[in-house]
Amino acid sequence: MSRARLRLRTLALAVSLFAASAAQSATVWVTDAARSRLGFTGTLSGGSFDGSFQRFQPEITFDPADLAGSRFRVSIETDSADTLDADRDTILKGREFFVVDRWPVARFEAERFSAAGPGRYTAQGKLTLRDVTRDVTLSFTFEPAADAGTAMLEGGTTVRRLDFGVGQGEWRDTRWVGDEVTIRFSLFLRRK
Amino acid sequence: MQWRNSANNYGAVAKFLHWSIVILIISQYVIAEAAEELPDGLDKFAMITRHKSLGMLVLALAILRILWKLANKGQPAPVPMARPQQVVAAAGHGLLYLLLLAQPISGWMMSSAANYPVTFFGLLQFPALVGADHDLHETLEEVHEALFAVLTVVAVGHALAAIYHHVWTKDDALRRMLPFTKPRSP
Repeated sequence: MSRARLRLRTLALAVSLFAASAAQSATVWVTDAARSRLGFTGTLSGGSFDGSFQRFQPEITFDPADLAGSRFRVSIETDSADTLDADRDTILKGREFFVVDRWPVARFEAERFSAAGPGRYTAQGKLTLRDVTRDVTLSFTFEPAADAGTAMLEGGTTVRRLDFGVGQGEWRDTRWVGDEVTIRFSLFLRRK
Repeated sequence: MQWRNSANNYGAVAKFLHWSIVILIISQYVIAEAAEELPDGLDKFAMITRHKSLGMLVLALAILRILWKLANKGQPAPVPMARPQQVVAAAGHGLLYLLLLAQPISGWMMSSAANYPVTFFGLLQFPALVGADHDLHETLEEVHEALFAVLTVVAVGHALAAIYHHVWTKDDALRRMLPFTKPRSP
């Protein structure tokens, strides 16, 4: 490669980086943990039960007018899973499910957003749970307050726990613990 | 076959409900004790889940039994006995009906308090009776066990009374609830 071409490529790279950073004008939001919730609904022997993660850190950059510059990065502390029953929580955090000692954090990252109707959007991203990363699409609504200083971000998705190896050995049996788990989130956002 | 109760005999429906509840409750005790022995795991969970489904069946049968008793308007009449005995018998039966409702309902509440669903063999889900509450769950667990102790005492008393009627008084009190048996008196 000639020196002139290299220089040209460097320039082109600098220009595109600048363009990309200029496009990153989407609003950065801070999540009010006390008014936010990350819940899940699982099934046991055909009946549903709810649980939640008590500790999770969403980094939300979102602007309906700049979907290209929007992104979600959420880290979830698996040890904070709470189904309101100590026995079940112990099993859930244990070696056949989340294995919180080994995989203390689950992550969701999304950079591809699309509009799906008034106030409705989808985010295509990747969820990493235990040592498995899978494509996951979220559907959500985004409702900014009148002054646009705060906003509600609410939505969810459905995942298959066995895709992520959640439930090993005898717990793979879906007759007792259903494969599908619904995830729902409700985030109260403040403009950073 | 005689379905409804008559003046001096229980019909097939009452007999079926009575004995199926007896069999179910004994099974429930065996299942609960077996589950207690198991370590936390799928087998234990499956066992307790069956216990809950069968418990909801007991509740349904107990409600039917009570409705059927009301529909049969006091038939059959109690066997002849002294007034105090009649009062004890009526109180004992009333308590048994109450326990047949309270036992499964306390178990249902116990599940709800621990945020576990109650289903009928996974076919339908019953609503939670109370919100999730750890302390309430612990209390209800004790209530569920205490109710069973009371139910055992009253049911054994009920069975002994039936045997007493059969052997000593030689009346139809036991005979008319036995399956495939006709009362001696017309």
